[in-house]
Parts: sequence; C-alpha cells; structure tokens
Amino acid sequence: MDFSKFDDQTLMKLIAQAQEDALRELYDRYNRLVYSMAVNAVGENTLAEEITQDVFLRIWNKAETYSPKKGKVITWVSSITRYRAIDAIRSQQVRPEGHSVAWDIEGSLDNPDPLNVEERVETTQRQQRVRHAVAQLPEEQRQALAYAYFQGYTHREIAEVLGEPLGTIKTRIRLAMQKLREYLEEEDIAKA
Amino acid sequence: MKTEEHVYDLLPAYALNSLDEEEKIIVEAHLVDCKTCQLDLESYKHVVDDLPLAIKTKQPPADLETSIFEQLGADRQSPELQDRESWLDRLKSNFLSSAPVWGAASLVLVIVLLFSNLYLLNSLRAHEAIRQTDLTTVAMDPTDYSPQATGMLVISGDGEYGVLVVDQLPILDDTQQYQLWLIYDGQRASGGVFSVNHEGYGSLLITAEQPLSSYPAFGITIEPTGGSPGPTGEKVLGGEL
Repeated sequence: MDFSKFDDQTLMKLIAQAQEDALRELYDRYNRLVYSMAVNAVGENTLAEEITQDVFLRIWNKAETYSPKKGKVITWVSSITRYRAIDAIRSQQVRPEGHSVAWDIEGSLDNPDPLNVEERVETTQRQQRVRHAVAQLPEEQRQALAYAYFQGYTHREIAEVLGEPLGTIKTRIRLAMQKLREYLEEEDIAKA
Repeated sequence: MKTEEHVYDLLPAYALNSLDEEEKIIVEAHLVDCKTCQLDLESYKHVVDDLPLAIKTKQPPADLETSIFEQLGADRQSPELQDRESWLDRLKSNFLSSAPVWGAASLVLVIVLLFSNLYLLNSLRAHEAIRQTDLTTVAMDPTDYSPQATGMLVISGDGEYGVLVVDQLPILDDTQQYQLWLIYDGQRASGGVFSVNHEGYGSLLITAEQPLSSYPAFGITIEPTGGSPGPTGEKVLGGEL
C-alpha cells in the first residue's frame, strides 16, 4: 500500500490500527520539525534525538487518542514535542540558556505534508506568514518568546536567565504575542 | 462582567503556559464564565500553534529512524510502556485491599503522594482537615473512550475537602481541559478544571459549595479550556461514593 497518498488524519487512523508503514510515512513528514523543535528546546543533539524518538513512540502508542476535533495533526505532533522537550529540560535540569533559538525568518520553506497539494499550499503560505510575522518582532521580544515557547520558562524564570526586571519580560511577551496575533489576523483577512 | 475585571494582559502568557502559578489560577478562575476572555485566549492559542512553523528545521541523524522502528516491535506498546503499570493502579490495590497495618502505611503513602502535588493547596486549614480526619476514597472507573485511564478521589472525613488524582488520561491540546463534575439528583456542578502532563497524569484540589460527601457520584469530561457550565464532551472517568 502506498501510504504517501494519504493525508495526515488518515495516517493517524492507520497508525491507531498498528500500521507501521503509516508511522513511517508520518515520520518522513515530520521528523525534521520534531527534531528541530527538540534541538531548539534543549540545545544539544543527543537529547534532541531521545526526545524525537520518544515523540514518535508516543504517537505510535497514543494514536487512538488523536481526534481531528483537536486540530491538525501537525499541531498535535508539535504540542507533544514541545511538552516532551520541556519535561526533559525540567527533569534533567538542563539549562539551555546558552544557545539561541534558530527562528527561520528568511530561510527556505518546509512542506510537512508534501503530497496533499491543498494542505501543502496552505501550510507553505502559513509558514511564510508566520516567519514574516516573527521577523517583524524586535530581537528582545523574539528572545523572550523563544524561552517561553521552547524552554517552557515562566516569566520569572526568563527574567532570571536574562537578568531583566520581571515587568520588562511580561511586557515583551505580551507585546510579542499581541503583534503576532495582529499580524496573522490581518494576513488572514487579506487572504480571505 | 466589568472590563477592568478581564484578564486580557495575562492571556498571551497563559496561552504560552508561561504564567507563574498564582496568575494562572487567577486566569483559570476568570475563564470559567467569561466568554470574552475565552475567545481572546483562543486567538492567542492559534498564534502558539503556529510558532513551530517559524523555526529553521534540520534533518535528524539517519540512524534515528531505524532506532525508532526497532523499538516498535510486534506489540502496540514499547517495552518501556508495556512494563509500566500505572502507579495509581498499584496505589489503589495496595490502599484498598491491604491488611490494616499495610493499609495504614498505604494511607501515609497516599497522603505523601497527594500532598506532593498540592501546590494549589494554599490553605493550611484544608491541609490539616485532610490529614487529621478519616479519608473517603472513590475509585474512578474508565470509559470506552479512555480504557487505560485511572483515577482516585480522596475526600476528607468532614466532606469539606477533596483531591482528585488521575493517570494515563489522553493528552489534550491547549484548547481543551478536563472538568470534574459533582453529580446529585441528575444535576451536575463543576468541581474544577485541570490539565494533565505528557504522561496523562494530573491532580486537582476540589472546591464545591456543598460538602463533597453529599454528592453520590462524580464524572470527568473533556471540555473547552476553562471549563463549561455543563458537560459537553466525552466522559473519560466516573465513580460513585
């Protein structure tokens, strides 16, 4: 069976039925995303590989808990990856403040679901908009946002790591999120 | 609801899960019945969902795929997960069926485990009430939706305070949380909302207008983040006093 012709949601159903090749196809689509999120979170490759491995084993074992009502598969996979990486940071007491998150604000685009044309176009456009939106942020806001998103740090922890007042960090995060929302909503309206 | 009571400024960080615990509790309490802030939160969650698209991606080592698929084996679960008996299962069997001496030891273990999770328990009075009185336990049974899930509700002797501990519940995305329902005479009152970690484990300090011992039954459903006025989603656990 050619699993590459299936969309993400169909793959999830097949994975729930223990179709190993369906997981292999999903791995082909998302291994870069999962691994890169993990590297950005923990700052080193070996632990990122462990996290990537754990995420795909978790998808294998928990596929039946995925529901399209929860959103797109890419969102579900990203969410599992993010929290698995944050858990690794907290349980292993990794302090990855020494590395900077590699926001790709001008680089090439990925196509997570390359054979679903509609999904590919939508994802590519979304990717462009998000990257452009992040690129508009001042560097200090991008930095605070990265600590909150990838490392799971609270306001207080970010303030401690960066040596900045707590109120400053709160403002940076709030402004970054407000700007991103505003920009992405404007783009959505323009697209419609 | 007055505008000044809204929590607009906290919602961006809440969507990122970067608030400190005290602020998180304030937001969650407000979200329960504020549609305006629920909608505002949804828009920020969409931003959070999109953030992974903005990172530079790179290829993992080629042998990682081989390593992952070697671990799948013939079974659905990895060896690690196969061997993993829910700690809650062990706790329940020890606590509910042991001889008195071991039952007492298990009770101590229950209290230690529960209180290790009770950062929400900001009232020493509640703490003392649970510790010093006879406890009532309610085993929560799974439904077909989440057959692997386990849960236990522990109520203080006077029925005033309770703690819910769950394990192996399905992981939810940021748009959903679990909500405990206190059931009496066909009516359902909310006992609070909670989330679980990546292993499906979570806990909740229960607050209710009536003593918890006056509710003969309890249920847990999946609801939109912040909770619902009444159950709307899948039931995942249920139990009777």
